Amino acid sequence: MEGHSRRDLLRIAAGAVAAVPAVAQQTAETAASPAPLFFTPAEFQMVDELTEIIIPSDAHSPGARAAKVASYLDKSLAESFENEPRQKFREGLKLVDNLSTQLHKKTFVESTPKQRVAVVAQMARNEKTPKKPEEQFFVQLKASTAFAYYTSSIGIHQEMEYKGNTMQNEYAGFDAGLVPIQLPDSSK
Amino acid sequence: MQSPSAPGPQVDLKIVYDAIVVGSGAAGGMAAHVLTSQGMKVLLLEAGKQLDTTKELKSMEWPYDHPRRGEMPPGYHPLGLNEYNVRNPPYAKDSKYPHVESYVQGWNGPDYSKNIVVDEKDHPYTGTKYAWVRARCVGGKTNIWGRLALRLSDYDFKAKSRDGYGEDWPITYADIAPYYDKVDLYLGVSGHKENLPYLPDSLFQRPVKLTSSELHLRGELAKMGRVLTPYRAGVTTDGLKHNKYRSKCFGRGACDRRAGGCDIHAAFDSPTGLIRPAMDTGNLTLRPNSTVYEVTVDPNTGKARGVNFIDTESGKTYEARARAVILGASTLESARLMMLSKSSQHPNGIGNSSNHVGHNFCEHIMGPGINGLVKDLVGKPRTLDDGRPGSFYLARFRNLSDKQSNFIRGYGFEGSSGTTMIPGNAFETLGFGSSYKKAVRDYAGAYISMGAFGEVLPRYENGVSIDPNVKDKWGVPVLKFNYTFGDNEKKMAADMAVTAREMFEASGIEVVSVNREILTEGWSIHELGTSRMGNDPKTSVLNQFQQSHDVPNLLVVDGSSHVNASCQNPTWTIMALCWRSCEHLADELRKGSV
Repeated sequence: MEGHSRRDLLRIAAGAVAAVPAVAQQTAETAASPAPLFFTPAEFQMVDELTEIIIPSDAHSPGARAAKVASYLDKSLAESFENEPRQKFREGLKLVDNLSTQLHKKTFVESTPKQRVAVVAQMARNEKTPKKPEEQFFVQLKASTAFAYYTSSIGIHQEMEYKGNTMQNEYAGFDAGLVPIQLPDSSK
Repeated sequence: MQSPSAPGPQVDLKIVYDAIVVGSGAAGGMAAHVLTSQGMKVLLLEAGKQLDTTKELKSMEWPYDHPRRGEMPPGYHPLGLNEYNVRNPPYAKDSKYPHVESYVQGWNGPDYSKNIVVDEKDHPYTGTKYAWVRARCVGGKTNIWGRLALRLSDYDFKAKSRDGYGEDWPITYADIAPYYDKVDLYLGVSGHKENLPYLPDSLFQRPVKLTSSELHLRGELAKMGRVLTPYRAGVTTDGLKHNKYRSKCFGRGACDRRAGGCDIHAAFDSPTGLIRPAMDTGNLTLRPNSTVYEVTVDPNTGKARGVNFIDTESGKTYEARARAVILGASTLESARLMMLSKSSQHPNGIGNSSNHVGHNFCEHIMGPGINGLVKDLVGKPRTLDDGRPGSFYLARFRNLSDKQSNFIRGYGFEGSSGTTMIPGNAFETLGFGSSYKKAVRDYAGAYISMGAFGEVLPRYENGVSIDPNVKDKWGVPVLKFNYTFGDNEKKMAADMAVTAREMFEASGIEVVSVNREILTEGWSIHELGTSRMGNDPKTSVLNQFQQSHDVPNLLVVDGSSHVNASCQNPTWTIMALCWRSCEHLADELRKGSV
């Protein structure tokens, strides 16, 4: 059933991750961020950049950086019951730097924005059937990033413009008693 | 709304109550309601704790206002499909996690229901693979149930007369219909009248609305003679003037974002729908943290004398006494309790002279389903699609006027469509960057999906027994499963995937994926049978009033009594049958004839 698989996917996405207090949402991006709990400052910078490449700010809405996705990943990894997700994430970041060095003879953070996107594109090449370790890390990083972003205030309200979780007196939608209608006019 | 936590009368174990009710879910809560409203003094024993679910559920909390976006704290582990399938129970044995919970805790927002479902470490079971979901607290699983409130019909009650398999129920639709009406009016149910003989209408409150894609599918399926109807939700959509503990539904939508639960109690739950009003009669005494482990017997008459129970906090044991004992502990727990209650008069367990207790266990098979895309909706402006207590139900269409060549009985589909708070397609959309964001955004509201629930045939050999070698946290021997799906279920499941595709294709919905995999036994959380009703004491456990053939002052009012599973969800039938039986019991108690 779709509900089952969708929920399982959310679960998988959340599996390696898990936390950011609401207060983090309110902190202005420019304010001095508190020291990361698990990541080293260099790792944090790298994760912040990687997640922003995956879900960037654009004309429609702010992206992963504004939504404090790196901070969420840091806190959830820090409190993870198991050690394995922490190790795997750290190893994954090393794979990113190795790939970057291989491609551009520079670490990921030292690279130009264009070079960084090229590194992520390389990692994302086999997203459906990832084989290489860096490809597998991309799938994991993207799932975690998507979960953190689409459960954030920016993700829910600005990006997805979600209209629910409010009190309504009348349900939105159509009465079953209506003669079956054509789908909404595509010209709108 | 008033807080559902005022205390009732003090527990007095020196008196003989009119009735002891074991379990406080749909069945036990209904028994308490009916008997107390008839002036009977009732002691309601609940194995689990008293929880303030209004505070637990926090239905409107945004993910970002929760410290872990709704996830459980570190150290809590929900069992996954693979764990159920590659290992045998007890699933939590030797787990490295301090807390292990059932698969429903792998859904969104499990932190809100983690105290409602049991910790598998405390509640082991053995035998064959089974995904057993249990809630031990006042109200049981009604605190988080899926809310689909359907009636059964004579297609179910007289199924043997139609296809020759199994047994007919000892009642007809005409016997139970007045009690379905009472349940509808007392608790509230939302739906759209369809006049289907195989899915009788309730006395409906305001129906749930359909999305444009659901309305389109409804129209296309009507051409095939199949009926997609708005979700028949056990939710009061118009409000209930007689119940001050429940609000009407405001379409906030948390019911499908999480395992379930409603903190304004518009969705029926036993604590606010049944137990608090029963307490207001002054006739109900509730004792939580009281695990009944034996029905005691009067040595002279062989009738039930009361129950022995353990205080789960102190570990002390007590006996409570009553003129009648009513089991509503759940299909599997009631069977466990009867089999544990051995005495010289009932060496096989109380009420089990037929050797049918624990047998004929049945439920619903699920797994096959479909996900589709309505292309005309891609890129359309946001609509509010999840602000309702359910989406749609597609009624059974197999083996009604037709006769399938390779399986008997039928299945229905539950489905949903449109936008949700967290877009599920974000985890399936390939790529990254602005194009990824846009694809997620454009397609999020355009999917429609459904999954089937099919009738599992009752078979004598499918059942549960006591495992004397394994005990739960309180030292009570646990259940051992001997239960698997059979050939009829597997062939039916194959058909589900075929018809799902056929219906989407006929409706011009692009098929994204078809799931053919059968989920582990137990996944539907619709356990039924184990003490079936019947007219013959040799082949059934209970009579048509859910009274034990052997012990007339012992009733089993939960899903245990069902003779077959139908494919329609059981909760409304459990409550209607219980109402009928308890009215009958109250008459007998007044006459002194039990």
